[in-house]
Amino acid sequence: MPETFTFGEILSARSVIGSTLAELGAQYPELWVLTPDIGATLVEFRDTFPDRFLDVGLAEQVCVGIASGLAYDGNIPVVSGMLPFLSMRALEQVRSDVCYPNLPVKIIGTHGGLVGNGGSTHYAVEDLALMCALTNMTVTSIGDPLMVGEILRQSMTMTGPLYIRLAVGKKDMVLYGPGEHKVRIGTGIVARPGTDATIFTHGTVVAQALQAANELAKDGRAVRVIDMFTLKPIDEELIVRCALETDGRFVVLEDHLAYGGLASRIADVLADRGVRLNSFERLGIPQVYAGFGEDEQLRDKYGYGLAATIAATRRAIAAGA
Amino acid sequence: MTDLAHDGKRDTVARLEDVSFELRHKLLELCGTYEGAVHIGGDLSAADILTVLFHYGLHVDPADITNPARDRFVLSKGHAAVCMYIAMAMRGFFSYEGIVQTYGLLDSAYGMHPCKVQLPGVECSTGSLGHGLPIAVGMALSARGRGETHRVVCLLGDGETGEGSVWEAAMAARSNELGNLVAFVDRNRQLMTSFAEERVAFEPYPDKWAAFGWDVIMVDGHDMSQLVGAVDAFPATGSDRPTVVICETVKGKGVDFMERNLAWHAGSLGAADLERAIAALESSRVRESV
Repeated sequence: MPETFTFGEILSARSVIGSTLAELGAQYPELWVLTPDIGATLVEFRDTFPDRFLDVGLAEQVCVGIASGLAYDGNIPVVSGMLPFLSMRALEQVRSDVCYPNLPVKIIGTHGGLVGNGGSTHYAVEDLALMCALTNMTVTSIGDPLMVGEILRQSMTMTGPLYIRLAVGKKDMVLYGPGEHKVRIGTGIVARPGTDATIFTHGTVVAQALQAANELAKDGRAVRVIDMFTLKPIDEELIVRCALETDGRFVVLEDHLAYGGLASRIADVLADRGVRLNSFERLGIPQVYAGFGEDEQLRDKYGYGLAATIAATRRAIAAGA
Repeated sequence: MTDLAHDGKRDTVARLEDVSFELRHKLLELCGTYEGAVHIGGDLSAADILTVLFHYGLHVDPADITNPARDRFVLSKGHAAVCMYIAMAMRGFFSYEGIVQTYGLLDSAYGMHPCKVQLPGVECSTGSLGHGLPIAVGMALSARGRGETHRVVCLLGDGETGEGSVWEAAMAARSNELGNLVAFVDRNRQLMTSFAEERVAFEPYPDKWAAFGWDVIMVDGHDMSQLVGAVDAFPATGSDRPTVVICETVKGKGVDFMERNLAWHAGSLGAADLERAIAALESSRVRESV
């Protein structure tokens, strides 16, 4: 039997986004926060800096357009919302009003991947392909809630646009201890060392990649896990190094279309640099509009769940060996 | 709109009131069995509108869902999907048990937003707000082009009329003289995180639609006799002006602790609160029939 819970509990919950923005609001008087009616986690900022908070209602295009105008005038706007709508309905505003003039607008949102059980209108599955295509855009996908705060802090001094993709947020577990890894936009994180193969991943499924590597360790396999939380600019040197150090055996796991996201960006680097691999396994969303179900069920159904990750990594290690 | 005009329809109105009461009852039941969040607030505000459409206004036949002459219904406020599923189930389109037993589960056709591919009985996949009216304009244009005389009806939430695409569609509908298009707006005056007029100045709301060249009908969206009157006032489909029925509603209508309560935009009911909600629904009905 379910317990009673209401949206009001989400409204009153503190979040890393909310508390970090409130902290930065005090430090940066030019920081604005804008949202198209997705302000549940922004209450702290809204109440502390009501003059620099704008909820435009359900209107993503004008939200990004206004952010552009604010940024033209020297402000630092953060647009917070749901990624399926910010990345698609407002795409032209993001491209022509933010990226084209290279303005420091940050776009942060949830529902990246098959999360939230809203059905395909509410899953952002092609957002990274779209955002990576935009000149000047920096593209990140974060799985560790503490990293979100760190990236937002760093973003305050960035001169161009930034996209921050989250899953649902509240369910994500803390992956790294404070100070365990130096978090720098553009540099991948070696989340786990290993030499038999590398799993490249980002966002909410980093935890799943680590779990797969743990399972494989029981068979004596040392699988490296790279949290490639910056998709653009991509850490080319790390990709090339992993090819050399893990015997050219790559698995790419992402909660995004299997073509157009991180796997495609890695494949581009390998082709451009003339690096040859022994194996390359893509785990991500196939060409489907997914239906309903919980996150883990959907990942299993569409072939990129934990079991599939373990199996693909075994294949990568065995190929041509 | 006076009751007098519908003297002959007292039975119809009473029947529809029974349907909408049962619809709300079933919605609460589902909210009590499904473990995830249900958009119960906006379901309850739309329940009477969906009742009058599926049980009175729309010419549809559950046994013949592809008949070209059927009226088309587009649920632009897609998060009220479950209210539509149940209203349609009560009309014979689906099995209510099928909905309540599988809602939101893996491989269910019934989830948070309607999907035409998984559930062919619905006309249109929606969920991203502001998309329904443009699609309805397309359907209405097609009907007129083919010389068909059915109607296209679209239900919007007032919050989503903040999207520019709604007004682009409103302009296109008038430009193309789509008298076969009727929009209902569930004007519950709440967005997800705020009361509408706090953040967005929708008012003067009827004037906005009128300025776009639409005929405007204003009703109490919980008064079945007024809703029936609105349906009866639809123009002939060959007329040249689209119609909007602005329904003043209450988010969470029928359950006192949910009414006009931002916390109940969405949620789930435990056993004790389900009982409390059903008691509230029943006492609200007694109150209104006095």
